Amino acid sequence: MSYGRYGRPALKNSVDVQLQTAFTDGNWNTVIRLADKRFKTLKDPYYEAIRIAAESQLDGTTERCTALIAIDELVKSKAVPDYDTLELLEWAARDYLYDTEYAETLGPLRARWVKANPKSKYSVKCLQSCLEFWDLVSAQQIATTLDKAFANSGDRQYMFWSITLTYLLSISPQCSEASKKVYSLLVVKQLERAADNTENSEKVEPKDRGLLQEEEISLYYRVMLSHGSKEDFISRMESSKLGPLAQLKEGRKDLFYQALNAYESWSEWDRIYDLCRQALRLGLDGATPTFSVCDYKVWKKFALAASKSKDHDTALGEVQSILKEFIALKTNTAMYKKNIALALLDTAFRQPTAPGSSGSESGLTPRVIQIGLYLDSYFDKLSAFDDVKDFVAELSFDEVKGLMEEVLPKMLEEKSEKSSQVILKSLICKLRYLLTTCTQTLSHNPSVADGQEQDKPYQCRLCSNLTSLPCENCLRSVVTEAAQIYQQIVDDSELLAVIPRFDKDPRIDLALVMGNSILKLSGLRPRTSDVAPAPLRDVNPSLFLQAVLVLDTQLKVTPGDVALRLLLAQLYLLLGCASYAYQIWTPLDVKRTIQDSLSPLFFDRISSLSPGLFTGTRPLMEPLRSYYNNSLHSSCPLRIWDAFGSGSYSSILEMTEFDSKLRRSCTLMMSIVEERRATRAFGGKIECEIGDLALTENIDDTTTILNKTDYGSFVNLESPEGPPIQEFLRIGPELSNERAHLSFLAEQYLDLIHHKPPKDHRPYKPSEASIKERAYTFETLSQLNNSLTGFIHRPTTPAALTSPEATYYTVVSLLSAAVLTALSTTRAEPYPAETMSVITSSIRTAFTGLHTRFTSSSTASKGGVDETLYSLSDMHTLSYVRETALAMRHSAAFVQAWNDRELARDRSGKSTLHKDGLAELKALDAMAAKTVTEVKGHIQKLKEALGQGGWLDKMLDWTFGAAEGSQEEGDEKVRKAVEDVVGGREGAEEWVGKVVESWGQGVKGWGLVKME
Amino acid sequence: MANFRQFRPDDLNKFSKCNLDPFTETYELGFYLQYHAKWPSLFQVAEDQHGNIIGYIMGKLESSPDYYKFSEHYLPWHAHITAVTVAPEARRLGIGKMLTEQLEAAADANDAWFVDLFVRSTNHKAIQFYKSMGYSIFRTVKDYYGDHSSDPTKSSEDAYDMRKPMKRDVKKEHIREDGEKFEVDPSDVW
Repeated sequence: MSYGRYGRPALKNSVDVQLQTAFTDGNWNTVIRLADKRFKTLKDPYYEAIRIAAESQLDGTTERCTALIAIDELVKSKAVPDYDTLELLEWAARDYLYDTEYAETLGPLRARWVKANPKSKYSVKCLQSCLEFWDLVSAQQIATTLDKAFANSGDRQYMFWSITLTYLLSISPQCSEASKKVYSLLVVKQLERAADNTENSEKVEPKDRGLLQEEEISLYYRVMLSHGSKEDFISRMESSKLGPLAQLKEGRKDLFYQALNAYESWSEWDRIYDLCRQALRLGLDGATPTFSVCDYKVWKKFALAASKSKDHDTALGEVQSILKEFIALKTNTAMYKKNIALALLDTAFRQPTAPGSSGSESGLTPRVIQIGLYLDSYFDKLSAFDDVKDFVAELSFDEVKGLMEEVLPKMLEEKSEKSSQVILKSLICKLRYLLTTCTQTLSHNPSVADGQEQDKPYQCRLCSNLTSLPCENCLRSVVTEAAQIYQQIVDDSELLAVIPRFDKDPRIDLALVMGNSILKLSGLRPRTSDVAPAPLRDVNPSLFLQAVLVLDTQLKVTPGDVALRLLLAQLYLLLGCASYAYQIWTPLDVKRTIQDSLSPLFFDRISSLSPGLFTGTRPLMEPLRSYYNNSLHSSCPLRIWDAFGSGSYSSILEMTEFDSKLRRSCTLMMSIVEERRATRAFGGKIECEIGDLALTENIDDTTTILNKTDYGSFVNLESPEGPPIQEFLRIGPELSNERAHLSFLAEQYLDLIHHKPPKDHRPYKPSEASIKERAYTFETLSQLNNSLTGFIHRPTTPAALTSPEATYYTVVSLLSAAVLTALSTTRAEPYPAETMSVITSSIRTAFTGLHTRFTSSSTASKGGVDETLYSLSDMHTLSYVRETALAMRHSAAFVQAWNDRELARDRSGKSTLHKDGLAELKALDAMAAKTVTEVKGHIQKLKEALGQGGWLDKMLDWTFGAAEGSQEEGDEKVRKAVEDVVGGREGAEEWVGKVVESWGQGVKGWGLVKME
Repeated sequence: MANFRQFRPDDLNKFSKCNLDPFTETYELGFYLQYHAKWPSLFQVAEDQHGNIIGYIMGKLESSPDYYKFSEHYLPWHAHITAVTVAPEARRLGIGKMLTEQLEAAADANDAWFVDLFVRSTNHKAIQFYKSMGYSIFRTVKDYYGDHSSDPTKSSEDAYDMRKPMKRDVKKEHIREDGEKFEVDPSDVW
């Protein structure tokens, strides 16, 4: 059936013009009349279907259901329906038919129709329709029918559709556990049979029902890996036809990787060694293109497998011998040469010889020499640091000394060009920073000396100073050295002129090294649990501001640098300058598909930092909302039918998995929750309850919500053993399953207590409606309380929340219990005083803790820095104080309103709530109301503070110290280095203006937030 | 360092190194998935040791519709390069060349006559790159782009349709000398 105007199905050609025209024009009343007339005259049920379809387009509720009723009747009748009738009814019911209903109605009807008409050209359309509603049960039945019908036709497509759908069904929640087992077994047997057909045929013809195309074999590998046994898979991989090596010869590299990855997951090192060796030999012999085998991954696995071999000396010798043969190849491109150079480096690190034993005593081991050789060739490449980072971090201390004191200085000496020298020097600075994060550069110092506990428990082996972790003396040296090189470049016009020819402006690297070092010196540490203090609480503000200033100054010079932008956007969020952070973030142009993985870098917790950002002309979350709505509008994975039509079976599996993950994205939940919180903050109307949104319809407590944030573009100079840079920069722990669930549940709770029936809602039977409402409310509260409590008490939850978040979710969970207890205790019943007392005192304790954290920001002062800075950088706490207090107030109001309604409904007063329960909630309300007033006052105070003059001097003093020499000697050196780079205090004035302006904008936004 | 393999949808969560570069366009999800669904072997990526995507190429296999068959602009079965990008940190290592070679191998495996692509006529670097790989200008599509990359006073820019013959085109029937002189309108380009 084709489709006409407005997506209406075209009617059969046999239908008269008058009816056709009325249908096309959407004149539904005429269609109903004419179709009814034709049906009575011709007795053709198709006209009855037209009438029903037309009736379903009318506005009345009963009429709209006509198509659904007709579909139900067809299902019950067991007769084979007419295809055109099915099409018409499916179209008519399109807006009212949920996917689950489709799987119980139209899906089985379509499967029934295909069974009766397997060779019809419409059978495939029936399959397509079932897939559009993601009804895998019916789709699999149809595919199986088609496969049987065309088994001898040579059309292989149906066979693989059937196998693919059987596999999808075997892993789908649409299938019962018992059926999953049956389908798993079935799909394995089908593919084994197909594989055997291939093995036993001299040449597989399309009609042989064997495995022929790469996509078919890929499906075979994937299913065997997923549903078969390890032994079976390994034995089948030895096939000379379908094994990975044979497939690699055909240029089918992905199959080779699938086998290799499977072996690695089972630690089958001998097999990995053999497979890599044979594959690389194929590349050498020209039996397969070099790009099929020359990936770094292959070399790395090869060297690792060789090192695990019983005879590792011989095995590693073989690795080196093959490497040498590749080096001799003239056809290698720059990338392959680099891969081979890295493979040589990797092989040196896989040698079992003890470090230092084969080299000189100075630490010039083969590993160090190999790093030197690599850097000599690639020091000027942008990725040079990343390439060697993990290897350097693995070196022993003697080797570190060998590298840093012999190899690199010698290399530097040999570079005659100034440009090469500065690039190498900036690389050395990065390596020096890296080493401050590596534990081998520190030795333990007795923690107690002369009966005194030492605050510096380590001795730095590089500078011999006593230190805590990391070595502050080394960090200061790195800063001053980086600043010197930076100045050398800035002062040299020749160097500045050649910079555009470099892979990267070395000033960016130097600024990043300075910024990172000063941040570490400031005491900035990852806040990865709910006991971490507020962002800048334990940080030296002066050093923190200097770090931000250095990086900001560099961004003005190189505005196109992505890593700098990302880093600064995070730092400004920490500093409480959300509007300025947004200005820095916006040019990154994070849009469409990459939003899911990159938006959290700016938008996570944004409503708690700066709700004012949501008052802009364009809704802040609109691009994200639009992305998810476009990508997930149907329950069917986007473009899946294209993959079926093209026989891309591995794509079908991957797209299905991707779709499932996207529906469970932490970013998706973040975007919904952040927007709702901001809407509430400004007194806006939330259109739909969170649980009723199409985007959350499949989320329940058992769903694992996934964090897919992409940190790949951060420059991470940290040791692989320690936390990556992004953990130092966030307000709190990253997105997580636990936080996503808690935020979802808390929003559901707020939806419940904020719910107001429409004004025109007049229940026909008020008492009955009241009983139902009561049952629904009790059930919902009970479920929410169970779920919230469950998530809060998970052992992984504390590490997923900031302290204010932990309090908020704890209080919401307790409130759900308090409200449930209060509502379920009428004045006629005995009051559960003990239970209620435990709940409300727990709420008070949790809330008091949060309140104390909030008020402490108004008393703390460190390094001469005004309390305002701490407050401005901790709006997150203020936000959660407000959220928690309002949740308490609204809960009390909800209970009171319930009681008032009951009183109005039942004048006897028997069903009104127990007065003690009401009193307990009123007390909580009073406590919360007082705090909300404090929050208001706090915002007012911040506004007044920012309105006062003198901010330029104040900020410059905070950043650089009030007078020269006012800081410790080490910090003084850093300050001087920073001043040199940023152009002194004058150079920082514009920056101060931006920071203070952004604070002002943030506070202005907070001034608009509703406090009730 | 790099590994080369077919694109997987999960790679979209590792695109930042390429797609935060202002010269790389980010498309809607359906666009990427369409290529992955229909022409998986022509959607190849290069990844670094952390799984970040540092380069990718998207291509398709197609011919002009049958009703176009008698037009002089009819395109027989061929591969088309839709997008190719390499992250700044991975440039000058030949990654673009290797990705293109892999697409060409897939084009040969699918019996394509040639591989073609469109490039702005002022993008000399890219033109040189493709010429070094055996591509030649087949025709100039007048005013193909609705803006000009280097001259803001102009409202359009020509495209070069560049081609490289594949193994199937033994007689080199699908390329021509001095193709830049062969001008067509955007409406002639299917």
